[in-house]
Parts: sequence; C-alpha cells; structure tokens
Amino acid sequence: MRHTLLFVILILLLPVSVAMQDLLPVIPVAQARIQILPVLFCFAMLALPLLPALFFALATALVQGLVLLQIQAGQSELGLTLPIVFFIAWAIVLQMSSEATHGMRWELHAFGSALVTLTLLGGEFLVLCIKRGGFPLDMSVGLRIIVPALVAPFIAPALYFMLRALVPLSPDAGPVAAQPSFKR
Amino acid sequence: MKKLQIASLAILVVAVVSFCLLEAGTLSSLQSGLLAILSPITRSGGAVKKSISGIGKDLMTLEQLQKEYDRILAENRRLRAENSGLRDLQTDNDHLRQVLGYLERSAFRLIPAAVLAHDAGTWWSMIKINRGSKDGIAVDMPVITDRGLVGKTTAVSSEVSEVVLISDENCKVAAKVEGTKEQGISGGARDTAGELHLTFLSKLADLQPGQKVYTAGVSGGIFPSGLALGTVKSFHARELDGEAILEPSADLGDLEEVYVVTGAK
Repeated sequence: MRHTLLFVILILLLPVSVAMQDLLPVIPVAQARIQILPVLFCFAMLALPLLPALFFALATALVQGLVLLQIQAGQSELGLTLPIVFFIAWAIVLQMSSEATHGMRWELHAFGSALVTLTLLGGEFLVLCIKRGGFPLDMSVGLRIIVPALVAPFIAPALYFMLRALVPLSPDAGPVAAQPSFKR
Repeated sequence: MKKLQIASLAILVVAVVSFCLLEAGTLSSLQSGLLAILSPITRSGGAVKKSISGIGKDLMTLEQLQKEYDRILAENRRLRAENSGLRDLQTDNDHLRQVLGYLERSAFRLIPAAVLAHDAGTWWSMIKINRGSKDGIAVDMPVITDRGLVGKTTAVSSEVSEVVLISDENCKVAAKVEGTKEQGISGGARDTAGELHLTFLSKLADLQPGQKVYTAGVSGGIFPSGLALGTVKSFHARELDGEAILEPSADLGDLEEVYVVTGAK
C-alpha cells in the first residue's frame, strides 16, 4: 500500500520536476542547467520494488525523450529507444545497489543522483556527436556535463527527506510484501 | 501474486517495444500531449517566477520614486512633441511604402507571446511560450523580437508552444551579410552557448566585425527575408569554406516577450 502511494506521488512529481527544472535559472558556470529529473528518478529506483521501479523508469524515459524530441526532415533525432535503454539499465543497477545496502540510504541517493546526471548528460553529448558528427569536447562542454552532476548531490537530500517524511519507508515501518528481487 | 507479476512484466516488455517502434509523427503528437500536461504547471510556475523576480525590481525609496516620476514626466513631454512631428512623416512613409510595394513584402501578422520557461536541456536551446494552437500558432512559424529573429515553433499544444532558438545546432537559417553578396547557413554549436556560426561563406569573404547579418529568405523556407539575425564578431577561412561567428541580434538568454509570425499582412 505504501509503495503504491509512493509510486503515485512519484509519477505525479515527474511532470512537476520537468517544469521546475525549466524554471530554474542557469548556473553561471558554462551556462550549465540544474537537472531535477535524474534526482527524482534515482529516489524512485531506490525506494520502489523492482516492477514498479521498471515502470517508473519507462515513464521517466518517455518524459525525457519527449521533452528533448526534435523532428528533423520527418525523422526524430533521438527517438525513445535510447532514453528507455538508459533509464531501464540504471533502474536495474540502482535496484541492485539498494539490495546490496539492505534498503535505501540518503548517501546512496545523493551519489546515485550525481552518477545518473553525469551519465545522462555525457550520454546525450556522445549520441549527438555520433548523430551530428564532430566531437567538440573542450572545457566549456566538460563543465556543462560536470557542474549539474556536482549540484545533484546537494538537491538529492532535500528531495529524499521530503519524500521519506511523506511516505515512511524505513525497514522498521512494518513488513513489506514479497516482491521480485535480484536475490536468489 | 506470481501470475500478476509475470503479467506486469509482460505488459512492461510490450510497452517498451511499442514505444521504441513509434514513428516520428506519433512521437510529435505525444510531445504535444506532454506539453499540454506540462502547460498548467509551466504557466503557473512562470507567473510565480515573474512575480518573484519583479519584487526586487519594484522596490524603490520615496526619493527614487520622485526622481523616476520627474524623469518619466519630462520624457512624456518630449515624446508628445516628437510624436506630433512624426505624424506627418508617418503619412509620407506609408504612401512611399505602398508605392514601392514594400509593405506587402515585409509586414507580418504577429501574435505577441510571453516566455514561460527556458528548457533545461543542456545540448538544446528551447523556450516555452504562452501561446498555442487556440491562438493560431502552428509548427514551423518564425518567432521574432523587435531586435531580430529568435527561432521557430517546433511543438504546439492548445495553450503552450515550444520554440527552438537560432542558437540551437538544429535550427539552420539561410543568411546574407549586409553590404556583400555573401550568403551562408547559420546555426548554433554544441561547444558554444549563445553564439551563432555562419558557415558555407566564401573563403575570400572580407567580413569585418560589426557587419549585420539578415535572413536570406530562401523559397520554400520558414523564415522570411530581411529579419535581423546577428552581427559579425569574427571571420576565419576553413579548409573548404569561410566561417563567421555571430552575436545574435536578439538577447536569447534574456527573452521575456516575443512575437510569432503567423503570415504576411
């Protein structure tokens, strides 16, 4: 029941996080932008059981893919396949990490948020380089990838403790129903 | 319970495969749907942001207010005097424009729009505006300010539209350089935020910093000719062509109000 409530809250927060990150001002360093979506995604992956987490990863991929969609000569530049593969791969990794640490921890969420943001922006850059040609990696491009990843761990604890206050998910909050798991 | 989990997993797999196989047209419709979902949040968020950023601006002491009032009063008197003199000139100007047929070529039907948000995508330059299909906006309409070209609409919902800026790598504009026969293609770049790169110029083009660049208005294109695009900052010859770096005419980082060109008058 708690997980269903959390899933619904997180799904509702998905469009809110996209709208919020659009409204936030640019970080003066290299015109980098603050990313909230990867932070929310990371929390969901650590807090939800495997199946809801995979559905949430799919929803995140759809939102991210559609937000960045650009149609060029009747073809979509990125499509949805790459975001889906990216977010589902991270969903599996984060689920395994959550099991390895016997439940979610705020440090893991902060660290995971930084890694997801870093790989998301780096991955987008690489895909664009392959699709459009050229590899203009310089200090400015590097900062636009690294700075949002460095900011993410500072946003993560605020979201973590706010959502934990809304939906208590600590191990002592009661038994959790059996869920699919990576454990044998 | 196990059956339910297997069924959920099967649904997930089917959903993933279906979304991966979607065509560009369907994706575009889905994007408009997402824009419609985001629209109330973006609109209310944009209004809150505007009011918050306005708080600091509007706070003044009584002395400052008095000074501002005196300045505005003096400016009002000067403008009224100027305006009466300009009325005659306006009549002459209208007559001459009609004679030259210029009015038909360069006057546009414009829809004013407020900028709600700048997209957070790192490698894309896009903004959201508070006008949509119910205001007569469609995909691929040019967006301008009083200072020059801003971009074009790419996704439209009923109340909100997305505009790709000319500083985006994917927004290509045919352009010509003032006072020369040089024409090229302008667009943004991944490694520079805000600057435009005008490519396919002649290697021998003698471009000087400060020269104005305008849209060339190719047939079948989106952008009409003669819209200010930017100013030349530098020029260098490459292996096969020349490239100029441009400063956009409109301040793309600080857009608040724009106009969507819906057609000619």
